[in-house]
Amino acid sequence: MRMFKLLISPRLISFKNGLKRSRSNRKIKILVLTGAGSLFWLVLFFLTYKVLMYFSSQEMIGDILARHLLGMVFLIFFSILIFSHVIIALSNLYLSDDLEIYYSSPATLTEVFLSRSFYTVFDSSWMVVVFGLPLMMAYGLVYHAGLDYYLSLIYVSFPLIIISACLGIMVIMLLVRFFPAQKASDIIMLMSVILIVILYLLFRFLRPERLVNPDAFVSIAQYLGALKTPDSPYLPNHWATDILWARLTHYAAAQVFNAILLWSTAFAMVVIDIWIAGRIYFSGFSKAQEAKRRSHTGKRMLEKIVSAVTKPFGPESASLIAKDVRTFFRDNSQWSQLLLLAALVVVYIYNFSVLPLERSPIKSIYLQNALSFLNIGLAGFVILAISARFIFPAVSSEGQAFWIVLSSPLSSRRFLWSKYFAYLLPMLILSEVLIIYTNYLLKVTPFMMALSSVTIFFLVFGIVALGIGLGAVYPNFHHENIAQVATGFGALIYMISSSVFIALVIMLEAGPVYAILSAHFKGVSITYLQWVWVVCSFIGVIFVNIFAVKSPMAAGLKALNSYEG
Amino acid sequence: MITFENLTKIYRGIKAVDNLNLNIPQGTIFGFIGPNGAGKTTTIKMMVGVLRPTRGKIYINGLEIAKEPSKVKSIVGFIPDRPFLYEKLSGIEFLRFKAGLYRMKENRLNEKILDLLNLFELSDWGDELIESYSHGMKQRLIIASAMIHKPRVIIVDEPMVGLDPKGAKLVKEIFKEWANDGATVFMSTHTLALAQEVCHQIAIVDKGRIVASGTSEDLKKQAGIEGNLESIFLKITGGQYPGENV
Repeated sequence: MRMFKLLISPRLISFKNGLKRSRSNRKIKILVLTGAGSLFWLVLFFLTYKVLMYFSSQEMIGDILARHLLGMVFLIFFSILIFSHVIIALSNLYLSDDLEIYYSSPATLTEVFLSRSFYTVFDSSWMVVVFGLPLMMAYGLVYHAGLDYYLSLIYVSFPLIIISACLGIMVIMLLVRFFPAQKASDIIMLMSVILIVILYLLFRFLRPERLVNPDAFVSIAQYLGALKTPDSPYLPNHWATDILWARLTHYAAAQVFNAILLWSTAFAMVVIDIWIAGRIYFSGFSKAQEAKRRSHTGKRMLEKIVSAVTKPFGPESASLIAKDVRTFFRDNSQWSQLLLLAALVVVYIYNFSVLPLERSPIKSIYLQNALSFLNIGLAGFVILAISARFIFPAVSSEGQAFWIVLSSPLSSRRFLWSKYFAYLLPMLILSEVLIIYTNYLLKVTPFMMALSSVTIFFLVFGIVALGIGLGAVYPNFHHENIAQVATGFGALIYMISSSVFIALVIMLEAGPVYAILSAHFKGVSITYLQWVWVVCSFIGVIFVNIFAVKSPMAAGLKALNSYEG
Repeated sequence: MITFENLTKIYRGIKAVDNLNLNIPQGTIFGFIGPNGAGKTTTIKMMVGVLRPTRGKIYINGLEIAKEPSKVKSIVGFIPDRPFLYEKLSGIEFLRFKAGLYRMKENRLNEKILDLLNLFELSDWGDELIESYSHGMKQRLIIASAMIHKPRVIIVDEPMVGLDPKGAKLVKEIFKEWANDGATVFMSTHTLALAQEVCHQIAIVDKGRIVASGTSEDLKKQAGIEGNLESIFLKITGGQYPGENV
């Protein structure tokens, strides 16, 4: 036990020191993130409370719906917990740099395994616990639960977390037993992305908007049938739901039995995991330390892409871009996210193809053109979502190897602009494809088609510049994983400033476009004053675009020039 | 070839480098030695343009790095102490990348890259991703990449870290060859035997200041003792052998 405490102490001390000795800008970041988190927490609580209040006002089916929702919540939590334990256990048990210190110490294998599993449980479950709490509190409030309900939350969630942790850790130990840890990481990454994409597409193609249409359901039974969750009395989440529901409704049946089931399963799983670890954990870790030979498949294809992409650039920029392209396609955590974004784009386009324009009470041609105008903003936000993941981290992607660029003759200006142009062209193509295809589905007027294409064309210049520029202002060269960069404070600033930029352009164009379209549909000509307004607005748009390109790039350049790595 | 004028770097009120003045002629292997935290790496980072001096100037080949960074960097080869590289590139791709950054022409580049890989015994690993290299192999790749554009000044921070005896011997010979060909080598190291063996001139730096400089003979005179560089170093920096007082 003393050794176990010692083994988990570095993280605890580092955490304490991080809080105590953090600099003022880090403190501001912590405050902003805590504020945003608290806000999200409150919104979640408020929404759940509202939904449950609405359910409780429904006679007969209110309680059934609330029970279903609770079951669904626990099923989702349990699945997320298993999944996050699988992912986090891989790095904590096999890939972390500090494992060498652990293995070279006199600590026993079980002590190493348990201490690393402790990290895994903490890392994987804190967020689920924090954001699960408002939901459970809303239930407590709506059902006027007593102290026993809140206490039961502790003794129910603890074994549930332990069971999910043991399952996740078991899966990863078995995976690494058969594949090297690096390969297992690739497999999990790909599996998880594909799973998310499928779930996302399935959810969208089920068209949940139909649920609000009363004609879609013939009877309550059919409605409840549609809501039915894939629950089973053999699953721990079912036992947890039963205990909490009994506490909420003061119905005592089977509580003790379910609690015994939960705790005994948790204990048994811990014993089984320790037993498995004793047999296969070290051999998996040992295999993870071996060097990975490179696979030569797809090499020729990659070289073709590299030579096509770098053709228009000079030797310095071409070198930089070639390096970025190769790194991107060889890093599974990078390219696999393209699948997620492809799903986002597919759903975005699909939404337009199923719009029930013909059933709208508003005259179709107005609606089509109004939608087309709003679509400029929507496409802008889709581009922004992609940029936040790939363009904002472009500067940080140099990582700790940034010294190579800094000590080379490549100037910061050229470095930054090379990154800019490398991302600009693909984003321009993507945005034009998005806007033209969705406008084609909407069957808009040629004027709207031209306006949207031109507007999105210029918006992309600004969105990319904001990404590259702010990415240089808020770089993170010491990240372990490039995906971390896209979730940091700088990325938040990028999202906010780019959203403001898109909104500003849309707002500037909205008035004149309305005037032009109204005149067109009414068959009247535009007045002199309206022309002045139109011209002024479009000049304003040009200025906003120039500002959105110049100022972040200048700020990024200044930050890079004063960077001291 | 390399000149420091009142070079100073202050980090949060602490002088890491304090008013350094140096003049290193062309073709010299210059050893820059000192205890941990003496300011060696900070000085080197300022020389290669990774850090900016708080005060003072650095001239390389008559050009001031702060004013003409690209021109200066194009004639400098830098070998850092920690081999952070682009892990997802292969050795050959990394060398091509470096050649591109230094605006090297395509003609005979492949041949040159293969020669360098051969020289550093990496030819079997040229196609493998850097992430699969050992620490020593990464260090050899960095040295090879620093040579690719035939620099006139080589700045090295702890060249022997991670190298096996064969690799270390190779690097020593290469440094000597470079200096014979007229290149200047500025080398920071803790390996005093290496400094004594290959350096024409040595500066001992402590708490950001140069406390002694010159040839090995000059240093002996300044320290007032006979013996090897290690004893001179310990005498000048106020260090002692463990158990010396017992």
